[in-house]
Amino acid sequence: MSQIVFLVIAALGLLAALGTVLARNLVHAALYLIAFFFIVACQFVMLEAEFLAAIQVLVYIGAVAILLIFGIMLTRNIQGDDTTSVTKALAAPGLVVVLGLFFVLVFGINNHVGLKNRSGWPLQSSRPPVTEPATPGEPVSRRERAINDMGRTVGVELVTRYALAFEVTGIMLTAALVGAIALAHRDVVQEAPPVGDSSTKRATTPIKSLPLATSGAAASTVNSGKV
Amino acid sequence: MNGETVMTFPAFLGQSTLVELNTLTWVKWILWLLVGFFGVFPGIVAYLVWAERKVAARFQDRIGPNRVGPLGLLQPIADAIKLLTKENIVPRSADQFVHLLAPVIILVSAFLVLAVIPFAAGLAPVNLPSGLIYLVAVSSLSPLGIFLAGWSSRNKYSLLGAMRAVAQLVSYEIPQVLSTIPIVLWAGSLSLVTIFDRQLESGWFILSPPGLLAFLIFLIASIAEVNRTPFDLPEAESEIIAGYHTEYSGMRFGLFFLAEYMSVFGVSCLGTALFLGGGSIVPFAPLSEFPMSILGSTWVSYLLVDTILVSVFLTKVLGFVFLMFWVRVTLPRMRVDRLMNFAWKFMVPLAIANILIAAVWYELVLRPGPSRFGSAYMSNGLANWLIGWLVTGPMVLFLVWFVIWFNRRVRFSADEVPSVTHGPRVSAAVGTR
Repeated sequence: MSQIVFLVIAALGLLAALGTVLARNLVHAALYLIAFFFIVACQFVMLEAEFLAAIQVLVYIGAVAILLIFGIMLTRNIQGDDTTSVTKALAAPGLVVVLGLFFVLVFGINNHVGLKNRSGWPLQSSRPPVTEPATPGEPVSRRERAINDMGRTVGVELVTRYALAFEVTGIMLTAALVGAIALAHRDVVQEAPPVGDSSTKRATTPIKSLPLATSGAAASTVNSGKV
Repeated sequence: MNGETVMTFPAFLGQSTLVELNTLTWVKWILWLLVGFFGVFPGIVAYLVWAERKVAARFQDRIGPNRVGPLGLLQPIADAIKLLTKENIVPRSADQFVHLLAPVIILVSAFLVLAVIPFAAGLAPVNLPSGLIYLVAVSSLSPLGIFLAGWSSRNKYSLLGAMRAVAQLVSYEIPQVLSTIPIVLWAGSLSLVTIFDRQLESGWFILSPPGLLAFLIFLIASIAEVNRTPFDLPEAESEIIAGYHTEYSGMRFGLFFLAEYMSVFGVSCLGTALFLGGGSIVPFAPLSEFPMSILGSTWVSYLLVDTILVSVFLTKVLGFVFLMFWVRVTLPRMRVDRLMNFAWKFMVPLAIANILIAAVWYELVLRPGPSRFGSAYMSNGLANWLIGWLVTGPMVLFLVWFVIWFNRRVRFSADEVPSVTHGPRVSAAVGTR
């Protein structure tokens, strides 16, 4: 039963991934990508990890996909109309990169080395029992505890076993954030027009008297993006 | 946080979170789906619309709907029939599929939120161990739907509304989620049922200085999350027609309408379950167990307790909803820059610092244990509670004062240097708050 469900979900996921690559409209491609993220969340549910599924939806669909769509809209034609096309010169190197990645993944998955006392995960086909604890002393089995209290389990693992990876990822993300701000930040003083009477006055005027100023600015931004 | 202290709390019902997929579970779920999600919740939403029209009318010294049925009670049904029979117009240049998909995503997101709310003992559709994070995840789908609605309509106003909506929803989602973290810290669980049980043991979570602050942040952020005045810029009718649903007509517009009121109901349920003690009547610790403490093993007591719990829960939800109606008819719409400033400069710092104060409250009051009648804990618990208020109360007051003072200081010092132009002004929304 669960095997069939898995196969159906995986097939849908592959279709969504293909759609992401083949869609001509950028927003449609982003939609296919969102469908793929959702399929991954479904796979987490199949693996009894609903916490991770929720995190997957929250982070990837709720944040990454939205940012992606924002990016498409702010950098290109706002309706995403212009079709994506690969120039001929990039086709061959692209193919090489894709095949290389494919072989690396196949090799890595097939030659996965397990943890100290366990075999690699591609070789494990069964899960530990839910009801019986692994060692007689424990009140509940590890699998049940992981299912029923996955937030705590994941948190403890993140700050103990995976502490280094967690910290490195955090530093990397912070660096990316700082870099993005540094790229996007414009020096206000340089941009200012030569100080005249009107600009000075505008800076000191309480903005209360200009209720539509910013929405007008937003509108002009959108319009200029459209051109 | 110490796992053992949490484990030793008594549980009210034997709540094993592992769901057994037997026939009873299936029957229960199908009943929830047919009766709850197809019947009761849309009905509640329809009458929320009626209630809002009545409340707004009273606030504006009018009568409101009074033609269809007594007190206009059949008005929602007439509206639904009207929406269903209207022609559904889709612009020729619109993206047909996405145009259809967008309201569905928003509606699904609004419905899914209700799937983990504990309405009464044993009356939660699903008791997920990580229910709160599930709830945050599904409610984060609605910006996607709103964006797609605006994008697929091929209309400048729709697109403007969609961009405003996404910026606003993404910004206010952060303080909303951060304001629920104190609750998770105090309950030691992400399950809404467990959170409800903890409030029965230790009193409502709103009754502490950090809880009160978190509740206020949650309330404001929730109003912004459901796009209601004073945060209704995405559909500001005097500026951009109707925002992202300008090009929708007939029942597709009805779906947006349904989703909006459904999410109003959803956040009200969430606020009630998180802060207002669910269905318990007395807010203070020993008595807050009341309806649950008479729960026996017979069906009659079960029915009685659940009736009390559901009616109290719905009363609190109605109060919450009334608060939102009240705010809507009282306050004018905010400006875009003030909206963003308010989220990022006031709500987010307050919510983050509030988590630390919540930890202090946990150490002072909740970790020593619940106070119970007739035991030595009682006086002890009361003393702890008073100490907790005396310590965290000034901390919360200082925090609020500091955040406001800091943001005003930045603004005024900027005002004093006229030679530096600021581009778009980044003043803080202090004056009117």
